[in-house]
Amino acid sequence: MADIARQSSAASSSSQSRRSSRITIPFPGQEHNTRYTEPGQRPGLSHTLRNSSSYEFRSNGSDTDQSDIVSPIPRRHLDLQRSESQHWLGSPPLSPISVNSRAISPLSFASTSPTRTRRKHTQSITSLLESDRERWKPPLPTIQQGVPSRGEKNDLHNSPARGWVRWMHRQGLKDWVIIIAIVLSVLVKWCIGLGSYSGQATPPMFGDYEAQRHWLELTVHLPIHQWYTYDLQYWGLDYPPLTAYISWICGIVGTWINPEWLALFKSRGYESEASKVFMRATVLAWDTLIYVPAVVYFTRTWQGNRSSRTQHVALLTLLLQPSLLIVDFGHFQYNSVMLGFTLLALGCFGAGHDALGAFCFVQSLGFKQMALYYAPAIGSYLLAKCIYLGSKEGAQLFTRLGVVTAASFILLFLPWLPPFAPFSAILDPISRIFPFSRGLFEDKVANFWCASNVVFKWRIWFSREILVKFSAALTAIGFAPSVFGLLYNGFKFSKAASNTEGKASPSPSPILPLLPYALLGSSMSFFLFSFQVHEKTVLVPLLPLTLLLSSSSNDSFTFQLGVLVNNVAMFSMWPLLKRDGLGLQYFVLLLLWNRMVGYSPFHASSAFLRFGALAVYAACIVLHTAEAILPPPARLPDLYPVLNVLVCTPVFAFTWLWSIKRGVEVSWALGGLGPASGSSLQDVTPAAKSKTSKQQTASFSRPRIQSDATPATTSLSSPVLDGNGSASGFSSALSDRQAARALKTRSLGYSSGRPSSLRTMSPAPEAH
Amino acid sequence: MSEHSASPTSLSKRTTFSDTKPRPDIPSAVEQDTSDKAGDKGANSKWLSWKTVREWWSDITPFERDTLIASTCLKLLLFPSYRSTDFEVHRNWLAITHSLPISRWYYDTTSEWTLDYPPFFAYFEKIMSIPAYFIDPKIVDLNNLNYDSWSVIAYQRTTVIITELVLTIVLQRFIRGAVDPTTQRLVSASLFLHPGFIIVDHIHFQYNGFMFGILLWSILMARNGNKLASGLLFAVLLNFKHIYMYLAPAYFVYLLRAFCLSPSGELLPTRFVALANTVILVFLISFGPFLLMGQLPQLLSRLFPFTRGLNHAYWAPNFWALVTAADRVLLQTVKQFGIQSFHVNASGVVSTSRGLVGDTVFAVIPNVKPIHTFIITIAFQTVYLIKLWRTPTYKSFVTALTLCGYTSYMFGWHVHEKAILLVLVPLSLVAVENNAYFRTFTLASVAGVFSLFPLLFTPAETFIKIIYSLLWAFFVLNPLSKRVYEFPKSLPFVILDMIERWYLYGFALLQAFVLLFPIVVSRLIDKSEEGFALEFLPLMLTSVYCAVGLVWAFVRLSVLYLQS
Repeated sequence: MADIARQSSAASSSSQSRRSSRITIPFPGQEHNTRYTEPGQRPGLSHTLRNSSSYEFRSNGSDTDQSDIVSPIPRRHLDLQRSESQHWLGSPPLSPISVNSRAISPLSFASTSPTRTRRKHTQSITSLLESDRERWKPPLPTIQQGVPSRGEKNDLHNSPARGWVRWMHRQGLKDWVIIIAIVLSVLVKWCIGLGSYSGQATPPMFGDYEAQRHWLELTVHLPIHQWYTYDLQYWGLDYPPLTAYISWICGIVGTWINPEWLALFKSRGYESEASKVFMRATVLAWDTLIYVPAVVYFTRTWQGNRSSRTQHVALLTLLLQPSLLIVDFGHFQYNSVMLGFTLLALGCFGAGHDALGAFCFVQSLGFKQMALYYAPAIGSYLLAKCIYLGSKEGAQLFTRLGVVTAASFILLFLPWLPPFAPFSAILDPISRIFPFSRGLFEDKVANFWCASNVVFKWRIWFSREILVKFSAALTAIGFAPSVFGLLYNGFKFSKAASNTEGKASPSPSPILPLLPYALLGSSMSFFLFSFQVHEKTVLVPLLPLTLLLSSSSNDSFTFQLGVLVNNVAMFSMWPLLKRDGLGLQYFVLLLLWNRMVGYSPFHASSAFLRFGALAVYAACIVLHTAEAILPPPARLPDLYPVLNVLVCTPVFAFTWLWSIKRGVEVSWALGGLGPASGSSLQDVTPAAKSKTSKQQTASFSRPRIQSDATPATTSLSSPVLDGNGSASGFSSALSDRQAARALKTRSLGYSSGRPSSLRTMSPAPEAH
Repeated sequence: MSEHSASPTSLSKRTTFSDTKPRPDIPSAVEQDTSDKAGDKGANSKWLSWKTVREWWSDITPFERDTLIASTCLKLLLFPSYRSTDFEVHRNWLAITHSLPISRWYYDTTSEWTLDYPPFFAYFEKIMSIPAYFIDPKIVDLNNLNYDSWSVIAYQRTTVIITELVLTIVLQRFIRGAVDPTTQRLVSASLFLHPGFIIVDHIHFQYNGFMFGILLWSILMARNGNKLASGLLFAVLLNFKHIYMYLAPAYFVYLLRAFCLSPSGELLPTRFVALANTVILVFLISFGPFLLMGQLPQLLSRLFPFTRGLNHAYWAPNFWALVTAADRVLLQTVKQFGIQSFHVNASGVVSTSRGLVGDTVFAVIPNVKPIHTFIITIAFQTVYLIKLWRTPTYKSFVTALTLCGYTSYMFGWHVHEKAILLVLVPLSLVAVENNAYFRTFTLASVAGVFSLFPLLFTPAETFIKIIYSLLWAFFVLNPLSKRVYEFPKSLPFVILDMIERWYLYGFALLQAFVLLFPIVVSRLIDKSEEGFALEFLPLMLTSVYCAVGLVWAFVRLSVLYLQS
């Protein structure tokens, strides 16, 4: 395909001088123009377009945006140039641009900026390759093409979420978007909570709701050393201590309101409207306290160089992720606490606060052991960063991380450790947390074991011990590529930047873009291959995937796959949700979220994905219909759950493979800079780096004069521009000569491709 | 329902035996509409072909579509929420109309919730009971009282959502012909997403969305110059729910002046006859069967039970709420100071100590009888109607309509708090006239919506009503105020502006009080008698505080209208 051809040609010409002959003449109307056009469309993406004529017009419009390219540019460098024009300069891209045409992630560690400003730690996880492959068009000299008018509606990128965010911005309510989005999501969450919960009115054991309520009861009334030993047959506590602590806090509040709800032993199976409202409120409170701020923080750090509209859309996407909502607020669990801590950890990594991130991740682990699914990725990321930082600073960081991690664990388990308890006491929680005494899988879960069990009865052929080893080995193989990828890149960058000094540790490492893929790969491999997986655990791999999709454009493969997997994950939980009486909520949430993000499986750009997704959806619909009409045959009572597993597992397995592939691609993209820019890295970066640190210190003392929307990134090679609030972090990866030329070009009023760079020249960047 | 998409051509084709055709643009919906009103849904389905649906769907803008989807999702999620007895009332009506012959409908007393809506609503229930029977025969079982399985909940709630499509489509039509579509879009969306509908229809359970859809349709017809259709639709509406009689005087005057009389004041007989025939026909279709069976007195006694008190259990925040509150305060004063000159009504004292339950009998102030309320209402309405007679324009009509409803709400006998929607809905249409109207709208909406809050008292729904109303206020008041904002002209207006603002902020305090008071009381006082009496304090405060705002908004609107 053309893309591939372009790719190869680009690769071959990668050694050509970058930003060679790209000169742009910004013309007055351009800024206005870009504000109201929706760039980034190209033929073949005619998503939800209604009529082709308006589409043609618009595609011309988007040409205008990139029409500044007068001569062909090596593809590889498109990243640099585009990125530069969009966000290296630190000026916020004009909103519609960035809403639709995604900026490209910063590839260089040099792009990091001082720690103080809010939006500077900017490692977009947005696909590196994907963005150019998907949206890069052959440069056409079409400067004179028509300027799309404001009234032109573009359906392609007009997901309702975007439309709403845009509307809010135009109404001058930009500062309210985050709050309102949170309130909206709270409303939705609470409305889901009106429905029934797991095990409602089903004595004697009830369900997860009763388990959680029982833990509140147990932690409030019993001394700590009994928490993990008290009547284990009736919903004994089997989550790590943070769950217990949080239950304890909720229990205190609950007892204060109405002691009956949580009376020891007597309250077993207690169900009333009021206690239900209280329990729902605790979930909502913890979700709002941990998950919601984590999402906000994440969008700010990881997408800090994107427009606030994009951040807001991502926020909405994440806040209303259907499977998390329905499990937490419908079925009843506190997953958002665990996921929230992991998200906080990611945010911290993005901001360069590795120790803090490690602490958060330990909290996540301390809340639910399922966070272990992420552990290989996060551990190897941190290790890779230590490697990358080199022997001295790396060792420092390593020590610091080790101390923080160990200390947080000790803190969590303190009540079960000497001197507070005998040494053997620690075994109580541990043996409860890791229940290897249970079976290979429970119920029907869409993972490898359960799916393959249809044809091969694992449990008949092998003993449990062997299966434990088996699953451990398979899981390890499953996450090995992710771990290897991270470590390898750590080495690679460490070598590339071996001479550098001042690789300040509070800056994200260049391998950060790999992290979400590694998280996805690792958690998915756990989900698929590990021991004792529940269907709800699919939330764990869903998180990194949803993070990826939240920041990618609607026509990208990531987005399409992400939504597909989210929907399929929802479907995989259908037997559970049906049992809980949450069928209505299931359909409503799916409709709401899919509609909100503007998803349509018919318009996937990749034919494979399109047909694959349609086939999967068709299977889901057929299964739903069949289940509604026909009861399963008496001989196969589990027919529908098993078919469900068989539909879902391939999708999850594909996602796992895809994460590995993307990991390789991203790693190649990161490393791709190596040979070409390696020399420049090596001889430029030291200087640039030292400049960075100077500039950083300088910028610390400088009061922030810009609005929130304007990142005050440091300028590495162009101090003059710095005063204007623009910065080119990436210029450090370019040679000084080139940077100087860029500076000259810019100061002459020639922008390097996008009107946004023109904006950087204006003394007072517009806050929008 | 799809009358709009059917558009003039198809309408005129269908006017087969229309005796008058005064103007080509008023061939109107006369006969074809009358014929269908036996059941709005049923007859509509004749033209509700797949094609019209598709036309409508393709006409809808992304904004409207997404609003519809989002709100429908929310309403679906509200399925399991609290239901008032109105839910059982409507289920019982389904059962009555399905299992009894028409002659027994207004006589049945199996359930205490007897049928007390006009015949069109009974027909409407009859139509809805047919699918209900196929979904779950137990729904329409007359003796299956308080049936609340998932099937009946889902079914009845779904019918509310589906019939509300009338409102959706009408509001969408309002945008199409509007002078300023952008603003009208906001107004339409604000009506469609009105917290009143969410609280009363989708949680509490009623069919107001559908009814107000018809009312707005009628107003839309008036705006579009199709006054005959407007009158017809209003007649139909009256036969669905007779509470809309509050608005009837404005309709009567407007149609008489603007439709039946020429601008110079001469009677246009053909139009008059057409209108009269239309209305009579509608009423004949509605009441005809019962007239033939000689059940009219029984029917009317069901519709107009004059045995209730001045105030509802929870005082609707109107003028009488203020009077009642004043009476309570006076009583305390009298007791305190031992003033002998006042004659204290003993039963009034008892009424006070009973809190808000039962009839209101004043202790100090002379008692009010239905005839008094009636006279006051008529007197006020006459003033507005004279104004309307002089300026029979569309805007004037809508304002007079609002004021008619408002007067009835303010001074009516046994007004229910839900009746505030009769004011808020037409008021929204003139809200963006100018800043003064908008401020009136803001005050009335905030106070009015807040006055609906006591309908939902369960904790889960309390959270929803507060959050939802806040969101609605944010999305509606904020952008709209930007469009009409003017700085107050003089110092008195600045002060007024400030006081109104403080009044609005006061609702936050009031809500906090209402939420916290029961908790505090239950902690401090164990069920002593005093504590029991205090339980009504939040309700009373809510009522009085809202009444202050609503009375003030009423005065504002009256002045604005009479001055214009």
